[in-house]
This record gives sequence, structure tokens and C-alpha cells, in this order.
Amino acid sequence: MHGQSPPRRDGVKTAILASRFESIARKMQNTLFRTARSGILNTAHDFSCVILTADCRLLAAAESLPSHTLVGPDIMCRTVKDYHPHLKAGDCFLHNSPYEGNSHAADHCLIAPVVDDQGVLRFFVLAKAHQADCGNSRPTTYLGDVADLYEEGALIFSAARVQTAYKDNQDIIRMCRARIRVPEQWWGDYLATLGSVRIGERELLELGRSFGWGELETYAEAWFDYSEEKMAEAISRLPSGRRVLESAHDPFPGVPVGIPVRVDVVIDAEAGRIGVDLTDNPDCQPCGLNLTEGTSMSAAMVAIYNGLIDHTVPVNAGSFRRIDVKVRENCCVGIPKHPFSCSVATTNLADRVSNPVQRAIAEIAPGFGMAETGPIQPPGMGVISGLDPRNENEPFVNQIHVAVTGGAGTPVTDGFLSIIHAGNAGMCRIDCIEVDELHHPIIIKSRCLVPDTEGAGSFRGAPSARAEFGPAEDCTLKVLYTADGTITPALGARGGTAGGKSRAQKRERDGSLTDLPPCHGAVLEPGEWIVSYSSGGGGYGAPLRRDPERVLHDLREGWITPERARSIYGLVTTGAADDDSLGIDRAATEALRMTLTTST
Amino acid sequence: MRLACDTGGTFTDLVVEDGNEIRLFKASTTPDDPVRGVLNALALAAEHYGEEQRSFLGKAEMFIHGTTRAINAILTGNTARTAFLTTEGHPDVLVIREGGRIEPFNFTVPYPEPYVPRRLTFEVPERIEANGTVRKPLDEAAVIAIAEKLKALKVEAVGVCLLWSIVNGEHEKRVGDLLAKHLPGVPVTLSHELNPTLREYRRASATVIDASLKPLMFQYLDSLTNRLREAGFTGRTLMVTSGGGIMDAEAVARAPIHSINSGPAMAPVAGRYYSDRDFDGLAAIVADTGGTTYDVSLVRDGRIPWTRETWIGQRFRGHMTGFPSVDVKSIGAGGGSIAWVDDGGLLRVGPQSAGSTPGPVSYGKGGAEPTVTDCSLILGYIDPDFFLGGTMVLDRAAAATALKTKVADKLGLSVEEAAAAVFTLATEKMVGAIDEITVNQGIDPATAVLIGGGGAAGLNAVAVGRRLGCAGVLIPEAGSVLSAAGALMSDVSSDYAQMLFTTSRRFAFDEVNGVLAGLEERCRVFAQGPGAGALKVTVEFSVEARYAHQIWEIEVPMASGRLDSPADLEALKQAFHDTHQSIFEINDPGSDIEFVTWRAKVQCQLREGGTGQLPIQKADGAALERRDIYFSRTGWVDAEVVRFESMPSGAPVAGPAIIESSFTTVVVDPDTNAVRTQGGGLRITFQ
Repeated sequence: MHGQSPPRRDGVKTAILASRFESIARKMQNTLFRTARSGILNTAHDFSCVILTADCRLLAAAESLPSHTLVGPDIMCRTVKDYHPHLKAGDCFLHNSPYEGNSHAADHCLIAPVVDDQGVLRFFVLAKAHQADCGNSRPTTYLGDVADLYEEGALIFSAARVQTAYKDNQDIIRMCRARIRVPEQWWGDYLATLGSVRIGERELLELGRSFGWGELETYAEAWFDYSEEKMAEAISRLPSGRRVLESAHDPFPGVPVGIPVRVDVVIDAEAGRIGVDLTDNPDCQPCGLNLTEGTSMSAAMVAIYNGLIDHTVPVNAGSFRRIDVKVRENCCVGIPKHPFSCSVATTNLADRVSNPVQRAIAEIAPGFGMAETGPIQPPGMGVISGLDPRNENEPFVNQIHVAVTGGAGTPVTDGFLSIIHAGNAGMCRIDCIEVDELHHPIIIKSRCLVPDTEGAGSFRGAPSARAEFGPAEDCTLKVLYTADGTITPALGARGGTAGGKSRAQKRERDGSLTDLPPCHGAVLEPGEWIVSYSSGGGGYGAPLRRDPERVLHDLREGWITPERARSIYGLVTTGAADDDSLGIDRAATEALRMTLTTST
Repeated sequence: MRLACDTGGTFTDLVVEDGNEIRLFKASTTPDDPVRGVLNALALAAEHYGEEQRSFLGKAEMFIHGTTRAINAILTGNTARTAFLTTEGHPDVLVIREGGRIEPFNFTVPYPEPYVPRRLTFEVPERIEANGTVRKPLDEAAVIAIAEKLKALKVEAVGVCLLWSIVNGEHEKRVGDLLAKHLPGVPVTLSHELNPTLREYRRASATVIDASLKPLMFQYLDSLTNRLREAGFTGRTLMVTSGGGIMDAEAVARAPIHSINSGPAMAPVAGRYYSDRDFDGLAAIVADTGGTTYDVSLVRDGRIPWTRETWIGQRFRGHMTGFPSVDVKSIGAGGGSIAWVDDGGLLRVGPQSAGSTPGPVSYGKGGAEPTVTDCSLILGYIDPDFFLGGTMVLDRAAAATALKTKVADKLGLSVEEAAAAVFTLATEKMVGAIDEITVNQGIDPATAVLIGGGGAAGLNAVAVGRRLGCAGVLIPEAGSVLSAAGALMSDVSSDYAQMLFTTSRRFAFDEVNGVLAGLEERCRVFAQGPGAGALKVTVEFSVEARYAHQIWEIEVPMASGRLDSPADLEALKQAFHDTHQSIFEINDPGSDIEFVTWRAKVQCQLREGGTGQLPIQKADGAALERRDIYFSRTGWVDAEVVRFESMPSGAPVAGPAIIESSFTTVVVDPDTNAVRTQGGGLRITFQ
């Protein structure tokens, strides 16, 4: 314990150990990435690696999906400790229970205790990886339209000991092999994830041996304190205030009127704290959209870190001390009640928490917060399945990331095109057309951005992306998707406008287009195509105050049409697009902007 | 006599190889006219040999050149006005890229602009499928209409990348023909010819980058060869490539993307030779230290790992070339990295760099922020009066004052403690970078030697090697000019690839052998052309393969250029499992293997046995020097100072000690031993 006045932080040792822990987490991540089998891991990068203290506080994370890493790992390690009070070196646990800290059941976590030579628990390492399949009743890892866990059908593991003394428990391996589609792919991903936690464990043991475990504990506290101070400092730059904002998930099967979400955001600059109350929200719903405790809290926290516009604040249990997120039991954006389904707990409703929180921060604090990020997941990031005629009709199933955008306008930059969704922060990859066509019997006829779908603003949102794809010859393709944002778009902040809506359509053999439901499993025969529009991001600040140079850039580059440049952004141009000579008529632009401002 | 010249950001390095001896020279780089810097370095060499430049150059049969010209043009946006032609329906290949982002909560960095703007991007009506069949024939009239538009837009270069051209290149070829006819004089690059690799973004990216460099690199190489000729050079001019080989200058002018990563690519070529000569051929971690960057690469079993993920600029923020090049990881940690204390009281090193202007505080050129170089001066590692052989006098007092106010006082440390801490943290960052690349390639540092290149390498190479647990550290005698030395050891080489997807379960023997025969023929043509007169020609075959459902391929060396029997296939499968095991520490012998791209590399060896030696100079008889140097473990210690040039081979030097040459300083930590090897390098081992 510290005395009356805490000792001066060792600015050298803390910096050195911070770098050591970070590189261990990165090593875990590289190992997983390089060895994983499924596209969702090794192409899309949908996994995370973290290190926690022995008392289950998040200490270090490799750069990965924020919605995976903020809250959740802590609860899961506590769960492991509760069920297995005597942890030994060589133990490893498979955990994916949404009721005990995990996100959706498709995210398999491997958790290994780091136990020193004396048998003392020192740290935890955890790697979470999204599986291509998790034994659900239908071949997708996102089932929006299921009444409960039983209909969802996922295999649930609650801190199941999958290794003892570094040897696999074959009982569990066989269970997975028996129930998971593409068992070889699962097995490959299991090996990759296991390799990752074992490398993390090995490195931490070496670190403890060379520095001494006491030294590492002192470091952890110093690092938490440092992070908390940075967080308090960042919050103190914002004005104090409170906003209660609402958002709503679109109607889905099981929730015919959609799900309204209300967030109550309080910034207390003097105390250096931000609070989000999520308790005034509906109970768990008979669908797969319910969040888990981890994803509810992480969703609110993602928005807070987004809104600070200060990425030098370390994201760990130290800076978390300055955040209060209130959730309640049996709430669709809180702690889920068994057996309600959380199959889509990482994305759709989670975005409906993050988005109003980051927008509330913007409304309270000019120059901070963000507009809303585009909701997902349109068919362009659906789960495709079928039998591959090129491969003796072997079954295939995988999530694709063909066309998804969604970045929100921020106080300092335009929306990041490939942000994917709020909880993802652009950390996942976007597929190559050629890789998708080689791996699956599909043809991606087109993929491109759609002009005029950006949320307009001083800093605009990312536009929608449109993709059209279908089965190759002799194949029947199933596309399962859960597209939010077909009714309620990503809203703008501080005068910015909403982004384009997501949409799903089917192109029939005769070329005509029919609209498809937002949550659907489309079955396509050769000659039939599915058309996907991703949501655009909302804009930040008034469009009429957008730097004319930026408007000109968007116009020249075809992100917006001449009509929109003029009517929404008040830009008057000189020259012509044909010979690439477009310029700004400054005086006319100023005059037009004046007129448009007064007329609105 | 052969000459190798590497134009870097700060210095133009020259190595002269005359028979079995080499000599090193350094001149300042002249960014306004880089060829002048080259000629200046040659003048220094001529003077050393006591000859007129004309007669000196007249003796050289070969001039091998590396330059940052192309990469600088890209970074500063001074490339040609380039258009991009893509498959209909896919206009945003360069915009959408492959996704990915770093720093999830950093929204101050905008989404990167495409290498070619959308307004110079044109969709070509056509479509080929993954198996090579034509889904939609090429609309030639539309291509001609595009050519007319390009003319009106005054486009200076064109990159063409159509989907699946790597399986069926007919549409791209036809577009190339039509452009040649309707847009004469404008250089065109076709993706399947330049870089026949899967994944349209990186192939397109390489294609447009290559096209955009053509006008300028043609001009630069033309000027270089002409001025060398005017100065008296009559030999062959070669350029080093990102693939770690050398190519005739005219060939590089036709595909200038080969030159963009050429500097760092040479370091492992040199490292391979030195590890072989001085460290029993151990796996080598090659670390090349510059003023602003620290480049790490690897050599294992004599092979240099390649990557297809080469970025210009930061990962995900810059542009990917997708071009096979030597796997080099570069971090912003050089001698110029600035030390500072953040508002939470934590010591930081970089990422800001003082670069070469204004440079470290001690240079006295206006730099006010203390750098790693300043710290090495404070710790006594660098002699302020003997920097770069005494050509520049450094201000130690100014460095100490800056470090005191900006770092030491804030941390409550003495100046030397602070300087040592800066070194420790910089060492940590370098170790982190090395860790990342060794993990990716599955090399255990304990079985490897760390090779320090670059003028500043020796300052903490021993500390880095110790922290990694390496078997030892090697500072080659030409370590300060590692890239130029590597150029002298390179073979004239070329690399050919062809995609053909097949699996181990249904292996397409005939098609594969057809592809391999085609690749071999191209190698043979190269060997008889640019490779004519080589001492030895080797052709190595390899295949990029993966387990079923994996996405990323690994390169697997093949025993021969044909697969005639199931036994040959078994051997190839085993080679794949072994390679996978060695890189990733796991394999899965029960799994099907997918083979994607087949490669052949032809190497035409020009010289036997690496390169010549730096002659050992006679000791000048001056008294042994000593000076106080500081380590955090020991505090100030009185250390021996040894002149590298006159160090005899075999005589050990025990740390703590300093070994100095005109180009570099090596800090020998306590509890380590340094010895000059028979070959001439400095071999350091830990007690």
C-alpha cells in the first residue's frame, strides 16, 4: 500500500514495461492472424488478444476490435476463477457464454492463466476469435430472428477446461467437431487461438522471471494510475452537461415495432467523469439482438473513447475508473437473462447504444463527440453458404465483408470509409473480390461507392457502398443477413445530416429488382443476384460550413453530384468536370451559403 | 573493379571493390540533383586512389546503384499524372482497398486518398471469371473512347488492372495494344505482366505506382548513365531491386517499381554473406539503423523471407505495393528520434524525429529537442571530436543542457541516468520491431545473430542483442554502408510467377508442369540475355500455398521444376507442412493443401564469394586511448577505446570498451567480448 503521499511514478520503468506488455499482446495477435483458417479471422481480422491482471483487470490489448476488448474479458476471467479456484500452469479454458461476460456465442475465447514457478496466479491471457460457424441451428453466426438460445442452437461453453497440463481435453474437441459445420476450419482456428495464448503466457513468464513479479505488479498499478490521470485530463477539456438521446433498431422478426434505445449521458468535467445510464430500456426481447453485459458496456465506452478525440489516453482498467456505465439485469441493452438469445450481440443493437452516446457527447461538447456510425449488416457482409460444385459439392459457409462503409463525421475528419460499424472501428478487413470468387462459387458483379449518400456536414460521413453478387454456375447460394438502418439511418450531429440507409434487393432473372426484408435468408439460383447497400455515416457540423476546398474535392471525385454540392453545401464552381478544371467561385459560394443559411 | 553506390536520405555511400579489397566512401546526398552526390562520392574515391576520375572510372566494369529517387517521388507526390483502368462494376478498387486501420480511437488521421483519383479512373466493359473464362467480352470501342478521354485529360501514364487477368491476360493485353495505338507515347503498365499476384487491390496498386514512376525514372536513369559515361565510365550500369537482386538500368526504367524499396532490400543480402563468413551461417537478424528509421530483416537457411505486404508509408495509411519484396520492417527509431516526457510523466522516444535538419542538438544546426544521438554523446559513446572521422565537431554541453531541461529534470534523474533511460527505451522499441518480424517468420532469436548495419548501429546493437537473447552480435567491417556492400554481393536476377489454382487432393499435374515449363523457359531467356557470362546460373522454383480455407499463402521451396509422380507431390506436401511448422509452430498433416501461385527465380552469379575485404591498417603507434562511458548497470566506467581500422583479427577486446572507426562507433557493454574475425567483421558474444 502507498503511504500518505504516493511515490513518484517511475517514468522510465513504466514506459519500458508498457512497451513490453504491448509487444506481448501484439505477438499474440500476429500469431493468431498468421495461422488462422477461416476468412473471418485471417482475412477480416475479427479477433482480439488481451492481457489481464490476476484480479481480472484489463492491462494491455493488441490493437483490435474495441467492442471485444473493453469490458468482457474481465468478467470472463472472473468466471473462470469462480468455477476453477485452483488454476494451474497448463490450464486453458474455452468460454463463449453470453451470460457470463462474452459477446455472442460465435466468439470463442481461450483463456489461460499465467501461473509462476511457485504456482501463483500472476496474469491472464485471453484470445477471442469469431468462428466461421458455432453450431447454430442455421449456417450463420448472426441469427436475428430466433426466439431464444434453444432456437439459436449455439454450443455454449462456460469456462470449460479445454486443456490441462498443456494437453487438449478431447471430450470438448469432439463436441465441437460433432456440432460445428466445417469442423476442420474450426480446428485450425482453435490451434491458432491456442498458439496465441500460449505465446502470451510464455512471454509473460519470461518477463516475470527477468523483472520479478512484484515489479510487474507495481508497474500495473502505476500504469493504471497514469491511464486514469490521462483520462481525467481528457474529460476535463469538455464542458459539463447532460443529454438524453434516443435511437431505435429497425423492426425485425420477433420485435415488430423495433427496439427503442435511450441513453442518458452525463459529463462532469470538474470531477473528470463521464456516465452513461442504459437502465431505462426494454427488457430482453424474443430475438437474437439482445446485448450481453460485455457488449452493452463496451458499446457505451467505445463511444466515449471515440468522443474524446484524444487517442493518447490508454484504454485499460485505469482509464475505465473514470467511466460509469449503468446497466440492469434482464435488459436488451444490459445484462441478458438466460435463455434469451444474444446471437447478434456485437453489432446491431450495440451500435444503437454507441451511436446516441457519441452524438450526445457532440451535442454537449462542441469539438468533441461524433455523428452516428452506419448501422449494419447488409447482405454485403452477410453469411453465405451452399454446396461448392467446383469442389465435389463440399459445403461452405463464411461471412463475407464485400461492401460495408459507415464512418461517422468527427469534429476533425470526414468519416473513415471502412469503419464497418461503431464497435469495430475499422479494425476488420474488407474482402478482395478475387479472393472471395476463388474461395466460394460466387460472382461479385459490382462493388462501388454511391454518390450523395454521405451524411452531409462540416465533416461528412462516409458514403454507402453498393454490391451486387450471386452464385456461380451450378450453385444455389444462401445469403443470411441482419440489416439494421433500413428505416432509422445514422444521424448527424451538431447540424450534420443523416447518412444513406441500408437496403437489400434481389435482381430477378429478367433484370427487375424486388426489395428484400431487412433480416432475411435469401436463396439465389444462378442468374439471380442480391444487391446490398451499406449505411452511410452521419455528418458532423453544418454542411454549409464545410471548407469549400473539401466540397470541391468531393465533387471532383464524384463522392457528391453537382446538384448536392450546390443545394446542400452551397458550393458554386468555375470551370468544368470534363477537362478537370473545376474550381471554386468564392464570392458566389459565400453569397449562396448566406442565402441558404437564412432560408433554413 | 566494381562500384556500388547507394543514395540514401543523408549520405551517398560508395563501396569500391578492387580485386579482393574494398574501400568505403561517403559523400553528402544532394537532393536537388542526386547524380551530383554520386559523382562527388566517385571523386572522393578517385582521389583516394590518386587517379583522375576518368581513368579511375575507366577501370570499373560495373556500377551498381541504389536510390531513394522513386520512393521520394511517391512520398512527395511528384509522380506522373496517372490514369487507372479497371473492370466494369469495380471502379473503387483503389478507394476501398482491403480495409484495415490502426489506432482504433485515433480519428485525427483521415481515410487515405486513392493513389489515382476517381476522376482519372475508368471502367472497361469486360469480365473474366476466376477460372479464366470470359464472362463478358472486351468492348474495344469503349476502350478507344477511354483513350480519347485520357488524351483530353493530358494523362501522362496509365495503369491497367482487370479482374482475373492473372488467369487470363488477353483482355489486358488487348487494352495495352489499343492504348499503344490510340494513345501513343504514353507509358502503360499491365498488371498481369508486372505483378501476377492474386488480390486486385494490391495488384492494381503496384500497377499504377509503376506507371506513375515511368516518366521520371526513365529520365533519372537516362541522366545517370549519360553523366557516368561522360565522366569516363564504360561498363554496365545496374540497379538494385526491392527483391534483393540487381537488374540492368534499362530494365528498371521499364518497370521502375522494382527500385522503390531497394535500399533496405540489400541489407539482408549483405547480412547473409556476413553471417556465413563470421557466424557459422546462423540465422541472421539484420538491423539497419538510419537517421530516422530502423529497418529489420531476416535471413534463415540462406534464404531471405519475402512479403507481398509492402507499404509505402504507414500500414493501412499509405499505399500497398503488393509487389514481392524482401520482408523489411521499418520503425521510426533512428539516431534522430526525439526524447520527451509526456504530461503523465512518462518517458517517450519518438515518433518525432529531428531528422538530418535541424538534426540533434549537438549538431549545432538549430535543433532544440534532445535526440538519441545527443544521448550517446552524453554517455560518452561518441567522441565529439571524432564524429564521422572528425569531419563534424559535436557540442556535448548543448546536448546535456537540452536533455536536462526537457527530460532529466522532469523525471527527477541525473542527466546521464536520463540519457541511459532514453537508450533503454529506444532499445526496447527496436526489440519490439524485431520481435514482430521474428514471430511472423518463426525465428527464435536465441539461435540467431544480430547484424548491425548503418552508422549508428553499433551504439546499442549489443544492448539489443543481449535483450533479445541472441547468440551474438556482428558488426561487419562495411556495416556502415551495408546496402552498398549488399549490392556488390547480389546476383543479376529476375522473378517470374504464374497463378494456377490446384489442390493436393485433385492435383493438376499436367497443368502445373505446363506452368513450370513456361516459367523455366522465361528464366532461360533471361539467363542468356541479361545474365550472359555469369559464373553460375541457378533457377529456384517455389509455390505459394496454404491449407484449405486459409487465406494467406506461404512460399514453399520446391526440390525441382517438375512434379512427375505422386511421390513428387508427396515431397511437396511434406515441404509445405515443414515450412508451415517452422513459421507458425503448428502444422496439420491431415489437411488438404491449396496451391495458388507458381514462381521461378533465376539468379546469375557474377562473383565468387561475396565481396572483398577491408584491408587492416597498421596501428599508428599512438598511446591507447581511454574514456569514461556510462551504463545504467555500472554507472561511469573507464573504458578502453580501440580503433577498428587497426584491430588485428583474433585479438579479443573485453567490455566495457568502445571500438571506433571513421564511419561508426561500437559500444561493447560490460560482460561482453568483441573480436575481429578472419573475415574482418566484429564478432561480439555475451559472457
